Amino acid sequence: MKHLYIPFILLLITGCTSSPTLPTDYSSVKQQAPIYPDYRDITIPVNIAPLNVWVQDSLADEVVVQIGDMTVGTDSDGKTDIDAELWRSLLAKNAGGKLVMQVYAHRQQGWVRFSSDTIHVASEPIDSFLSYRLIEPGYELYRQLGLYQRDLTSFDEFAIYENNRTYDDEHNHCVNCHNYQAYDTERMLFHVRAMHGGTMLIDHGNVRKIAIRHDSILAAGVYPSWHPTLPLVAFSTNKTGQAFHMLHPEKIEVIDEASDLLIYDAEHNTVRNLLRTDSCMETFPCWTPDGTRLYYCSARVPEMSQDNSQHELLMHYDSLFYNIYSMPFDPATRTFGEPRLEVDAASQGKSASVPRISPDGRWLLYTLGDYGQFHIWHKSARLWAKETDTEGLGQELFSQHGSYHTWSSNGRWIVFSSRQDDGNFTRPYICYFDNEGKAHRPFMLPQRDPESNLFLLKSYNVPELSKHRVPVSAEELQQAVYNQQAITAEYESSR
Amino acid sequence: MTLKNTRMPHSPAWGVRFLYFCLLWLWASWWMGDSLRICYENSFFVADASQMRFLLQQSLGWIAAIGRAFILPMRYPWLGGLILTTVLFTATMSIARVSHLPLRWRWLASLPAIAWMTWVAWLGLNLYYQSEPGTPFGWLVIAWGIVVILDLLLTPIYKRKRVENIPEKVDIRAFFFLPLFIIPFLTTHFRHPYQRPVTQMQVQLLNQDWEGMSQTAHDNAELSYRPLAAYYAIALVHTGHLTDQMFDIRLDYDTLYLKRYGGTPDIGTSYYNIDCNFHAGLFRPATRRAMEHLTMQGPTLYSLKYLAKLALAESDWPLASKYLHILRQQPFEGEFVSRYSAMLNNADAVRADTEMATVMRTIPTHDDFESMYQEPIFLGFNAVRMEFPSAEALMQCLMVNLYSKRMPDFLYRCQPLIGGTPPKTIAEGLVTQSIKNPSILQAFPSLNMDAQTYRVFISTLKNELKDRQAHARALFKDWKGYYPYYYFFGNLRATRPTPKESPTDNGAVN
Repeated sequence: MKHLYIPFILLLITGCTSSPTLPTDYSSVKQQAPIYPDYRDITIPVNIAPLNVWVQDSLADEVVVQIGDMTVGTDSDGKTDIDAELWRSLLAKNAGGKLVMQVYAHRQQGWVRFSSDTIHVASEPIDSFLSYRLIEPGYELYRQLGLYQRDLTSFDEFAIYENNRTYDDEHNHCVNCHNYQAYDTERMLFHVRAMHGGTMLIDHGNVRKIAIRHDSILAAGVYPSWHPTLPLVAFSTNKTGQAFHMLHPEKIEVIDEASDLLIYDAEHNTVRNLLRTDSCMETFPCWTPDGTRLYYCSARVPEMSQDNSQHELLMHYDSLFYNIYSMPFDPATRTFGEPRLEVDAASQGKSASVPRISPDGRWLLYTLGDYGQFHIWHKSARLWAKETDTEGLGQELFSQHGSYHTWSSNGRWIVFSSRQDDGNFTRPYICYFDNEGKAHRPFMLPQRDPESNLFLLKSYNVPELSKHRVPVSAEELQQAVYNQQAITAEYESSR
Repeated sequence: MTLKNTRMPHSPAWGVRFLYFCLLWLWASWWMGDSLRICYENSFFVADASQMRFLLQQSLGWIAAIGRAFILPMRYPWLGGLILTTVLFTATMSIARVSHLPLRWRWLASLPAIAWMTWVAWLGLNLYYQSEPGTPFGWLVIAWGIVVILDLLLTPIYKRKRVENIPEKVDIRAFFFLPLFIIPFLTTHFRHPYQRPVTQMQVQLLNQDWEGMSQTAHDNAELSYRPLAAYYAIALVHTGHLTDQMFDIRLDYDTLYLKRYGGTPDIGTSYYNIDCNFHAGLFRPATRRAMEHLTMQGPTLYSLKYLAKLALAESDWPLASKYLHILRQQPFEGEFVSRYSAMLNNADAVRADTEMATVMRTIPTHDDFESMYQEPIFLGFNAVRMEFPSAEALMQCLMVNLYSKRMPDFLYRCQPLIGGTPPKTIAEGLVTQSIKNPSILQAFPSLNMDAQTYRVFISTLKNELKDRQAHARALFKDWKGYYPYYYFFGNLRATRPTPKESPTDNGAVN
């Protein structure tokens, strides 16, 4: 008797779920289906979450989408909500092949079929987790922000850490620059700025707050890069300011007044200057996957008078050109060799930033823009890739805006942030990078509700891939941020 | 005392209740109507929890969310006011029944409602400025819900105990709430006298009723508050009277009693900075301020509408489309959305819009960084600009210099006017410098009459000039609108130390 309700529930479920059927009587139109996000002619990993689309056809009262042999209905707004199980089996069946996406819309005159689109399914998976910071592109002020981890195989999002939700002068703080060691979350860090400031270091479940400051160091550690095997972090240390254009097509300039490189030893809590130069500004360190070289960017500081250097630097904002260099590193002795120029962008009136080496060490991925280093605000910024053993700038990957980027651990996927959707709010894009070094058309991070991309008034910052979830909960991190006193790293003279 | 001897107190008659209801409605719709409308503009509510996450994540954010839902009908102050009145009225009636007060104390049931009204009046513009607008309304709705439920539960019990029905009578004690009713009115009148004209001008700005804004400012010319002056200047930009009416109102700013996030005093520049930057043609600073508003306050209709208009003005079509899409989810914003959606992907349509066209006449002609100008940027920029795409831009620049009393900058930028007849206030500005610099009268022969008037002004007020602060207020009536009066007696408090205008402690590169 007690299970009598089951048939009723089944009846309710089947009654509410109309299984969509493909129209047999339709007229074909040559125009492309008005889908958002644009998932045409893209290559997707075999383990990616369902690509829900929003068919924005104001003339249609019903829409049916066919992807491969799967037929999907839409809600009254024209949005799909693809069943995760069916999607997974569809991708598994078509790994290494392609899916044809066909959109049918029922209008007053009857059904129309838009021109078909292709989705390629790569057999190589992407790392399961993507970490990012969500923050309004609010220029100087911040309020609610947090670091999050998204399971790329589903729509689950987990908070790594969220700052205080309610305004409070005693607790307002910002978090940034999350970074993992070799795609593993066992060793990671992020910075806390303003109240409760420090760098949060998570080492196999052990959370510590450290402070990197010393008279011999320019400023706190900023852009980090974990050595792939050793408990070492290369940091840039930057004195950064920003300025707001009144008319220029670029809205904002984020400019370093000075910057150097540091090496932090997480095991011994010591820090030392790696490159401390007045004539050059070094930033964005990045280890090679084998840990034997450190890449970084460097720009020559324009000659300025002593008394008004900040103002003068601002006047030179469009003549700051960064090159990419690398230094050999001996893990045994933990010593560095002489720098080598890797990308000479300055000589071509360009500026390169954010170097990232592919896991096989073959490719250098970076952003090339017209000037400066904070390319996320530069419309001219494009992703470029070059083989590490070749000269020149390499090749531009796409014609759209792209900036902060990361490789997947198998080297087949690139995730980067871009403002290409609306020009203001960055979204993560995923791109297949094949064996021949060709970047396929990127696609926006899939969401359960594609419209949420329009509603979200925050930007995705610093996308970083990892294989696992962060093992420490947001609550534990909050305890550490609020209650731990930052332990100041001991300064070591440079070797 | 037996049950038989227990008598229910007299209830106030329906007439008293009606009077009470009318007074509530008068307060909510007439006295506070414009304030509540602007409160609505500084709010945002949709049923989708993901879009309300900013609020729901805060402690007791759900209360504020309820309040924001309650604010929605304030789009139409008489309707919103009626709903607010109904809530306050029914709460009062329920409290009267639940508390079982004897007749002589029954007027006390109006105290919670009047206390809430006084709280709202005490907040002034801080009802929504740098604070959460939903909170006072959320608490009200919850309190109302509790007393109404108690009423529904307890009244039947009371009724069962009742032995006889007593006909309702009017009793003089029932009117004791009347003196209390004055408190919220007086709180606004004395603590925030600028609130009603300022919010009235903001509503007029939303309706693009520039003449109305100007009239409101003139009607309140004796008041001297920054937001009033700011919205008046915006009205003059659109009516074309910047150069002859700008000094018609007092400009010697009194305290606003505003607080910033965290509770420290604030001079309120952020209240109107987006409006002023936009109407001065400074789209980037306006965008920056609007984004900061969005960051600190969460999405509001105020910031989203400006962001949409600014994106349209800059031909950022996908961005404008995004903001309009978000606004489309709001139940009462269809008119705004359809008006501005028609401009998407059509720069000509943007330029053809009267408001946009006026504003676009004064956009900068060359790029610079904001940091090179004085804050607030809309004044700081215009004071030092050197290139003028239109006569309006030149006049704005000259007027800002006159306002800032930057006379060398003013004179330098008057060169294009040499030989002509300058507008009234420009002419008055020139003659204030003519004694020190007689060549001005040679360059502007048409100023001889103005110079004579100026000499009379100086000789008449010889004594008052010795103590300008003491005489400024008294002289305003006789000399309002006359620039030399402003030059010597206006804006004297600007040199006094004032609190920080906006939070800077968490400003950084994000």
